[in-house]
Amino acid sequence: MSQRGEVEHLNDIVAKYPEVPRLIILKTDVQRRGVFYTDASLSVLDEKKHSITGTHIFGTRDGKIAPRPESLLLRDGTSIITTPTAIEDNPYVLDLLDGQPFLFDGGEPIEEVDYWPAPAFYGKLTRSGILMQKIVSARPQRLVINPHRYCTFWKNGNGCTFCDIVAQIKKGKKDLQVQSRPKAEEIAEIVAEALKEPGRYSAVFLTSGSVINGTEPFDEEIDIYIEVFQELGKLFRTKKFPSQIIGTAYSEAQLERLYRQTGLMSYTADIEVLNEDLFNIHCPGKAEWIGYKEWKRRLVKAVDIFGRGFVNTGLVAGIELTSPHGFKTEDEALKKTLEEAEDLASQGVSTVYIVWSPRPDTVIGNQKNASLDYYIRLAKGLHELRVTYKLPIMFDDYRHCGNHPDTDLSRLLPF
Amino acid sequence: MPLTFQPIIRELLDDTGTSRIVATTNEDGSPYAVTSPFLHLNHDGFFVHLELLETSITNRNLLRNLWFDRKAAIHLTGKDGRSFLVKGVPVKAIISGPVFSEYYNKVQQALGDSDLSTVWLIKPVEIINETYSERKIEEESQYPFSVHLDRLVN
Repeated sequence: MSQRGEVEHLNDIVAKYPEVPRLIILKTDVQRRGVFYTDASLSVLDEKKHSITGTHIFGTRDGKIAPRPESLLLRDGTSIITTPTAIEDNPYVLDLLDGQPFLFDGGEPIEEVDYWPAPAFYGKLTRSGILMQKIVSARPQRLVINPHRYCTFWKNGNGCTFCDIVAQIKKGKKDLQVQSRPKAEEIAEIVAEALKEPGRYSAVFLTSGSVINGTEPFDEEIDIYIEVFQELGKLFRTKKFPSQIIGTAYSEAQLERLYRQTGLMSYTADIEVLNEDLFNIHCPGKAEWIGYKEWKRRLVKAVDIFGRGFVNTGLVAGIELTSPHGFKTEDEALKKTLEEAEDLASQGVSTVYIVWSPRPDTVIGNQKNASLDYYIRLAKGLHELRVTYKLPIMFDDYRHCGNHPDTDLSRLLPF
Repeated sequence: MPLTFQPIIRELLDDTGTSRIVATTNEDGSPYAVTSPFLHLNHDGFFVHLELLETSITNRNLLRNLWFDRKAAIHLTGKDGRSFLVKGVPVKAIISGPVFSEYYNKVQQALGDSDLSTVWLIKPVEIINETYSERKIEEESQYPFSVHLDRLVN
């Protein structure tokens, strides 16, 4: 397709779905195709003012570790967390227009953007001399903590097919001096410093790789989160505080322990793909230790503990279409995915998605993700489920995560 | 660059006694109007509305206006009765960064323990003079049949 055709394609989708905001369609497309940063756009990147890539748990499409903007911000407050992509892969181009960072496609200016503002605590050192952003990073309104980076599903080669978490850890240690298991007290020290910046954060978010160890599998993973949360809890005057983890699908006993012993308010366990056969193929570790049906059952049980509107699951949307085992058409994939999502929504579990970004150090990194049309229909479908079943999603929305086109639409939800 | 303002608009906004209202349209087309006590013009000529509540109807309406390029209305009335309606388009929603932080601090200084959801920048596109005394003169000169006869009796 010609470069001009790519611009028309965006406008075609905008015209086809007039009820979906153009800015959300654009965000989705930029995530789908990636972005290439020109030298000019990087010349205005200032580590004192802007958030620069560093501690991200996953890698990039161009496979490089280099200072680039952590994310882009559209003028409606929507984030575009996107991955730097080689120019030969036909991404959007980030350049300057009259000194302003601007997205271009096929040489045509598309939309102005800003870079995420740098938190005030970036550049500061902990008491033990570690750069704070190596342990805690930030989104526009959320603190991000990775208390344990390694995923033990990879020990017997059963990591997820779309994931490069282990490859990135190895790169991170060497190139970024990122800590794979920071101390809970040090994490709390950094969060305390971060909270001195008024109005900057409205949630704390933790995620790590899965840890199968323990009397019951994943007990040690729970222990890690509890240790960190209990240190964080000392910072707040309320027992509970706005917070989220993305963890493995825990048993009821583990969920109860996590909920009762910490200030945690919301829980996510990513099922990645809403089809049992594809789950077994793409998430062999999750399938080996928990299984698809049990994963879903545990999500539903989590609603009894965390409450309706505080539990969700995430998809890596697009992997359900990869060959050789995926759905043969986008229509079929959409229908089946939304059927499963509705089953969960009817029981109080929301489903959100990220646009799959094929990355070089992953098993399926050489395949293409889905069409823009598919991603917009999926966003609409998941949003409409939340409307139908009256499921709020504030803990995982544009302000707190910023990585889900479907929850960007939830800004208009009246509940 | 947005509309060039008559000095009167800036005078009204500089006076703390001026009433400031932001009016938007709900999803069903019905109107929705709220006071905007912090409303002012920034140095680039955009109206700044500080939305304190993330879940407010006005916040959703302004977002819808930005997304779908629709207008909101700002109404200013001074203590002396001078009154203007400004139609504008929300063009930016700031939720983070130095501009947001500055306003967040101002809100807390003004209101105590309070929060700020979004700093809205509204680009003015049309100004309508609604000052009664001036509109009355205009109407009577252009539309003599709008005047009641008892007012014309010797």
